[in-house]
Amino acid sequence: MKPNFRNWPVLLVLLVFSAPLLIMLAFLLVDAFTTKVPGTMIPNGVTLHHFRFLWTDLDDGSWGIWGVTLNTFNFALFTSLAVSAISLTAGYALSRLAFPARGFFLGSLIVLHAFPTVTLIIAIFLILQLLGLYNTLIGVIVVKAALELPFGIWVMKGFYDTVPWEIEMAGVQDGASRFTVWWQLVLPQVQPGLMAILIFSFLSGWSEFILPMVLAPGTEAQVLSTYLATMLLDGGTQADFNLFKAVGLFYALPVAIIYLIFQNKLMNIYGGGTKG
Amino acid sequence: MQRSSWLGLAFLSPALIVVFLFFLVPVVLTGFFSFTNMSTATGVKGGAYVLNASGLRALTDAGLPKSTLEQIEGAGYRVDAKGLEALALDFGKPVAEEFAKLHEGEVFSKRRDVERALKDLRSNPIRKTRDRKQAADLFKRSLMNERFDSPTAFEAALEEAGIPETDRPLITEVAYTGWVWTTDNFGFLFSLDSTWQYAKNTVIYVVFTLSFNVLFGLFLAIATFYLPAGQAAAFRAIWFLPRILPPVLYIVMWRWFTWDTGFISTVLSGFGVPPRNWMLDTEFHAWTTIVLINGFVGASMGMIVFSSAIRAIPASMLYASEVDGASRLQQIWYIILPQLRWPILFITSYQTMSLLTSFEYIYLATDGGPGGATEVWALAAFHTALNNYGGNLQYGLGATYALILVVIGLLASLAYLRLFNFRNLLVKPRIEG
Repeated sequence: MKPNFRNWPVLLVLLVFSAPLLIMLAFLLVDAFTTKVPGTMIPNGVTLHHFRFLWTDLDDGSWGIWGVTLNTFNFALFTSLAVSAISLTAGYALSRLAFPARGFFLGSLIVLHAFPTVTLIIAIFLILQLLGLYNTLIGVIVVKAALELPFGIWVMKGFYDTVPWEIEMAGVQDGASRFTVWWQLVLPQVQPGLMAILIFSFLSGWSEFILPMVLAPGTEAQVLSTYLATMLLDGGTQADFNLFKAVGLFYALPVAIIYLIFQNKLMNIYGGGTKG
Repeated sequence: MQRSSWLGLAFLSPALIVVFLFFLVPVVLTGFFSFTNMSTATGVKGGAYVLNASGLRALTDAGLPKSTLEQIEGAGYRVDAKGLEALALDFGKPVAEEFAKLHEGEVFSKRRDVERALKDLRSNPIRKTRDRKQAADLFKRSLMNERFDSPTAFEAALEEAGIPETDRPLITEVAYTGWVWTTDNFGFLFSLDSTWQYAKNTVIYVVFTLSFNVLFGLFLAIATFYLPAGQAAAFRAIWFLPRILPPVLYIVMWRWFTWDTGFISTVLSGFGVPPRNWMLDTEFHAWTTIVLINGFVGASMGMIVFSSAIRAIPASMLYASEVDGASRLQQIWYIILPQLRWPILFITSYQTMSLLTSFEYIYLATDGGPGGATEVWALAAFHTALNNYGGNLQYGLGATYALILVVIGLLASLAYLRLFNFRNLLVKPRIEG
């Protein structure tokens, strides 16, 4: 198209609005590794002092960054495995199998997908107390997986819908059972969907904050989000933002790596969006 | 049923169990809990029956006769196994055995009577007055501060103490430490001025954030559509960041940006403005920050959805308009925006719901401050039931706040189902038909 419009006013507006984000990001990287002249924004020396939490105990009652990181990893991993496993079968059933009340289940899936789950947190808190799963990592994993599930099933059903019927019909014609058809013929076709759900729920679990904070506030089940939030909210007026940023960078590193590798896939899924 | 019916249900069952436990049950329980007075004090699992000083005061206020109150406080002296055991321990077995033989099961109303009985023991009398007083006190039975695990045990104790039958139900009710059913939460909720303040805050929050999300999302999508590919990709990447970064880190960056030792203060101090906390110093600043924090995240979602919708517009339409001499603004107004009607409706309805119910960013940024100015409904529910400084978490009242959001959420989700092209989903399976 011919340039019948000047770009620079648009660029200017974009830059003004993007400025906070750019500044925050730039100083996230700069502040984590440098010291500053007090009262200015100018760095005057490179240091790894802000990353001391990696090798010394900060004496804040938590059980060390590596234990917390392991918790976070377990939380994200088992959440994503559970979501993927359950979505894999439920998505297929909703997409391809005939069973009673199928329409009802499909309708419920849409309702669940749109339903704001965070409103249920009080009831879930009480349920976990009754089940004795309060303050355990397993409890949070189960709840997180459950809340991610409608999204997982929805995406998985979408992937199953694109698999040609002919593949299954050929399998059934040759005498395979429906289960064999699913396991041997259909599953290889939806591997990209499986990957997408695994990655997405892993990232979602890694970033989750509200559920671990409410359902497992003890130190045993602490994850990186609550570790950083405790630092941030308990800091009072003496906020050591260099330390927060160093912890934040450490925390966000896996997210950044995964995002850089799977950028395009994720862009599409985030379009469906689960946060405001 | 056909075999595949069973396979379908079997494939669906893990999901059904999870959905039942963590969606259906919580929705129903939120309703139940909102009709209880459950709190930290009452516990979740039910309670015991204990009368303490405050319970007694409540009974006095309820107009219980004075004689009954006295009976509760001092229910007399009962020669029972428990007292005898204590007696044996303090004064020796023979004393206890003889006392048991003569008086077991008796109830004395005054201590003097017990003392006399102890004095009159034939073979092992207790001689010192002080000792007798002490021994008599071992048999004192009061309903105060005694713990009963079941209502029947408590009622039996009341009966033994000779409390009139008409007063018993009220005493049992007051003594119960567990939660009870009540409809008071709803009346209480709407009698509070703060409730209306939360509602007002929520409206401010949703309206301003939503406007920012939709308008700025539109601007981002259209601007990046017209910009050269390289610039467009750079801006999309920047605006995608708030969505991809963990919320806690995102708020760390905003806190640093607005803190009194942070970016704005430091830069402005170069111009002679004294440093202050730009997030929390005034209500206006708090709201601006909250709207921007949520708006930056929401705008990225708008950007993604609108961008893909714009890319779906046939390029030939845009070319044709240019041949006819349309300016970019005319293109946007007459071609692009009409095509975005549904995506805009989708983003608006979707984000209204998620803004109405989310409190994560506000909790981390201002925690409702300064002075409750940014306390929205969802955050109030969270504070009431799960996180307050008083320490007594009111699950029941919090559930009442949450119930209102749950009901709105359910209605909106059902409306969403109506809007959705449901018939497309209902395509019948082709193998079994």
